[in-house]
Amino acid sequence: MLEVTDLDVFYGDAQALWDVSLRLDEGEVVSIVGSNGAGKSTLVNSLMGIVPARRGSVVLAGADITGMPGHHICGSGMAIVPEGRRLFPGLSVADNLDLGAFNVEARPHRAESLERVETLFPRLAERRHQLAGNLSGGEQQMLAIGRALMARPRLLLMDEPSLGLAPVVVDEVFEVVANVAASGMGVLLVEQNVVRALEISDRAYLLSEGRIVMEGEPAELARSPEIRSTVLGV
Amino acid sequence: MSELQAAIFGALSGSLFAVMALGLSLLWGFLKIINLAHFGMVLIGAYLTFEVATSTGLDPLLTVVIGAAAMFVLGAVVQAGFERWQVSEFNSLLISYGLLIITVQVVSNVWTADFQRMGTDVNPYGANSIRIGALSLPLPTLLAAGFAVVLVVAGKLVLERTYAGRALQAFGQDREIASAFGIDHRKLSILLAGMAGATAAIAGMLHALGESLHPDAPFEWVGRVFAIVILGGIGNLTGTLYAGLLVGAISGLTAAIWSPSASPFVVFSMVVLALVFRPTGLFPSKAVH
Amino acid sequence: MRNRGWIGLALVAVGLAVVPLLVEVLDLSTFYLVFLSGILFWTAQSTSWNILSGYSGYFSFGQGAFYGVGVYSMAVLFGRHGLDWLVALAIGGLLAMLLGLGIGFVAFRLRSLRGEIFALLTLAVPFILAALVRLSDTIDGGQGIVVPVPEFPEALGSFQSFFYVCSAVVGVFALTVAFVMERTRYGWALFAVRDDEAVAEGLGVPTFRHKMIAIAANGLIGGVSGAVFGLNLGFISVEGTFNLTVPLFVIVMSVLGGRNHWAGPMLGAVYIHTLQNRLADSGFEGWSLIVLGGILILLVVLAPEGLMARMRRRPWLVSGALVATLLGLGLWGGWGQPVDWLAVGLAAAVVVAFLPSKRRSGVTARARPSAAERLYEDETPGERGRPLVVAEGVTKDFGGVHALRGVSLTVSEGELIGLVGPNGSGKTTLVNLIAGASRLTAGTIAVDGTNLAGIPQHRVAHLGIARTYQIPRPFSTMTLRDNVAVAIMFGRDPHGLSEARAAAEEFLSLVGLDHLAAEYPGKVNLHERQLLEMARAMATRPSVLLLDEALAGLNPVEVDNAVRVVRRIHDSGVAIVFVEHVLRVVNQLATRIVVLDHGVLLAEGDPAAVMSDPAVVSAYLGKEGHARSH
Repeated sequence: MLEVTDLDVFYGDAQALWDVSLRLDEGEVVSIVGSNGAGKSTLVNSLMGIVPARRGSVVLAGADITGMPGHHICGSGMAIVPEGRRLFPGLSVADNLDLGAFNVEARPHRAESLERVETLFPRLAERRHQLAGNLSGGEQQMLAIGRALMARPRLLLMDEPSLGLAPVVVDEVFEVVANVAASGMGVLLVEQNVVRALEISDRAYLLSEGRIVMEGEPAELARSPEIRSTVLGV
Repeated sequence: MSELQAAIFGALSGSLFAVMALGLSLLWGFLKIINLAHFGMVLIGAYLTFEVATSTGLDPLLTVVIGAAAMFVLGAVVQAGFERWQVSEFNSLLISYGLLIITVQVVSNVWTADFQRMGTDVNPYGANSIRIGALSLPLPTLLAAGFAVVLVVAGKLVLERTYAGRALQAFGQDREIASAFGIDHRKLSILLAGMAGATAAIAGMLHALGESLHPDAPFEWVGRVFAIVILGGIGNLTGTLYAGLLVGAISGLTAAIWSPSASPFVVFSMVVLALVFRPTGLFPSKAVH
Repeated sequence: MRNRGWIGLALVAVGLAVVPLLVEVLDLSTFYLVFLSGILFWTAQSTSWNILSGYSGYFSFGQGAFYGVGVYSMAVLFGRHGLDWLVALAIGGLLAMLLGLGIGFVAFRLRSLRGEIFALLTLAVPFILAALVRLSDTIDGGQGIVVPVPEFPEALGSFQSFFYVCSAVVGVFALTVAFVMERTRYGWALFAVRDDEAVAEGLGVPTFRHKMIAIAANGLIGGVSGAVFGLNLGFISVEGTFNLTVPLFVIVMSVLGGRNHWAGPMLGAVYIHTLQNRLADSGFEGWSLIVLGGILILLVVLAPEGLMARMRRRPWLVSGALVATLLGLGLWGGWGQPVDWLAVGLAAAVVVAFLPSKRRSGVTARARPSAAERLYEDETPGERGRPLVVAEGVTKDFGGVHALRGVSLTVSEGELIGLVGPNGSGKTTLVNLIAGASRLTAGTIAVDGTNLAGIPQHRVAHLGIARTYQIPRPFSTMTLRDNVAVAIMFGRDPHGLSEARAAAEEFLSLVGLDHLAAEYPGKVNLHERQLLEMARAMATRPSVLLLDEALAGLNPVEVDNAVRVVRRIHDSGVAIVFVEHVLRVVNQLATRIVVLDHGVLLAEGDPAAVMSDPAVVSAYLGKEGHARSH
């Protein structure tokens, strides 16, 4: 469903990704793990069209979306849960959700999507009229996921969903990710919490210094000495 | 009593400046564009009202339809240019300054540099006032206040109730993520700039109802309107209206108690104090965190 | 090369002195004296504006305030009270300078003062002044003031020549101030502020003081020039004085001429004044604002660096075109006045300046040996010695978030400390606090025995702390050499510009960049910009160097080279604290590792021991069940 081939990404003249290739099949949960600074967020930003790729291609559900402007990519079936949530803090919970469905494909189904998201996150329904900026960290993360689901994606991109959250909340978040995946949606999970990410993944890639250095079953990766050496440097 | 009259009259006049400030504040707050050309559009709007009403005998209030349509297009075109060349917040100030002086010169070449005023035969509002008890309120400023309220309410409705309006707010708060959710900033920003242009035309029409026109007028507005934008909070519609009324009332009171020449002194001292102590405006809109 | 500037300034001065003779010899009308006086007035106004707004980047819309104070000082003191005009002139200059200092004192002490806010603040000042002038009967009272013709030495002949001499003196004074600033630390401090104020402060530049000097100079020259101009006006009114003409024109002239060169605003004044004059004379007065506005828009979009920068690329061709056109038209004599010839000549000069160049720019010579090959490898870090930085119980809150909680850390002589931890653990916050860039919520940090509380950041640099930024922040309008020279000029062992430039080579070669000394940061690659960060930091002669992710975004070869440079710096006797994600490198380099997690110090000690600490392992890998204190 998602096929990334030989991606090179630069910030100015600083190369952040080298030859990154990866694949995600329908309904799969794939995680990208690695230490911070390894290029994980760059990969996400590049997939979403925020940072253009200099070389390589991104094909989503058969359509080539390489170099597409950001506001078109959303309509082609990929939605993002950004690092640090990045909600629209001055808008209400309801408005944040509503705007998640801005793309032309999702817009006609707003009511239906909203119902689904509010069933999934009853807490968001309770706080419908609060400003997003006034929610707790965990609620904000749920809202960020809800907003992305409103876009009716076939693939959910999650960038460091556990970052800055208390351990109990992290459990909740990963539970949600597992539920979403169980509904048949593809999930690309970018995480520095390696152990937790591997637990819920079907497959995983290890990213180190801007390159994919390993690919395989989660169990295989978890056992491998590479994980320890790239993440801990020993 | 005369102080009360002065304060109320001042506040009503201030509402005209609030109408001028609305579009400026919106573009600055949402698009990070400081559009001095907005004053040029107010000027053109005023002269269009004068020209159309005088030559066709159309009710000056109705001329705003023509002006608003024209300024919508002009505002949208200017914004399309800003988008095309990716103009920064600061450069937008310089470029629109260039546009403003061009406009002033063009207006002066077309309508001469002399004072112009609609005659009472075409402008039934100009010389009339309404008496409420001992207060006498000139009709043009009452109309300005009415339009100010209507525009602010309409603006708030559009921004908060319509889908596009909320998308604009989202865009103002986080451009990248808004774009990642399919919000096309180009279309929206051009639309918003068009609407700001239309409000400029309305302000121009209101100005033409009560005042004599001359091409250098924008330079007299710049200071006071920026004062209102800053005191009201950049991008805050209701704040802009309150600030307009406040600035107007204080100007009127200062003029009545002290001297008419003292009002700019008081108003701009307030601006300096606001910039130093409350750079987000006197009227906080929504409390986040 | 450096003397060319002096020659230019001297030429301007001599030329201005010769003009009255020329007017007499060629039997030109006094129009030319008046015309030149106008250019000189605008030269003084726009040059004074440029000293603050061009050099430091803080655009002022308030030039009219300084001009107005000058004009009214002359009008009231000389016109009304009959004081000697020279005394009135001096007082006008001083008052305008004091006004500048007052504005600066309010504005430059604002935290997070942005350019737009400064512009609007300065926009408000002339309105306030105008109101005061109109209000006060002792100043104007709204009636206007008549200024009589002053007595002047008879040798000067007419009032026009007297006025010309005064204007020339003020104009040359303004140019000289701008010229001297450009060649001394006063100007370079402002350039550094314009390019990156926070970095400048971090390198030891007392930014507040230098901005105050600039705004004082702006006020003084603007006021004196206004006072002189007041002599010529005859009648002075509030409306005629405090309008937007002066603030607008100085901006257009400086942007047109170029803000990075002392002569830029003068060039703009020559062009705009001539253009205005010719448009008015040929009946196109109604076009002048249209042309001005058009020029401003085109310049901002197409050539923001201004005419001066274009013309300096081929100075001989440009001046040749001007002189040839002037002489050609003059000898032919079939058309127009000298001022028309001048206008055409100026236009020809612009055309020549903007002709496309055949030589492609942007290709930099890189045949020299690369930085990597020029460095040798070395090891054995020094012994741990005297404590240099002592941080105790350091706590920092942002809003309600605890970025750091009770972190204690000592950096001693000879150490090379690796500061590591997951995202958001507070590493950069700690670096910022030690560098004095932000204030502690609780706790103390002392550098060499001095508590940092309440000390401005540039003084922290003088205590011996230097830092680099994760994303390099070079001064983009300066060459690599000048980037380093600024750090030397304002570091712990300050020097003048020329000495600093010479000494800069030494620091560039320390990091292997000496072959790129004349390049601009935009032309070198990321690795080289990161090395430049280190060279610039070292040029302040620090005792402790803070490196914030100096290796981010580098390829492996570059990483290895950067590691060698860090070793080399360390061997020169500087203690280093470095934040780094690539733990392979940290383990290789560090004499000690400090691990932060969620704002607390999780572990410290020698690399091997720390990285096998179970708490550290789970902080990095996110082992299940490990409870984090929160």
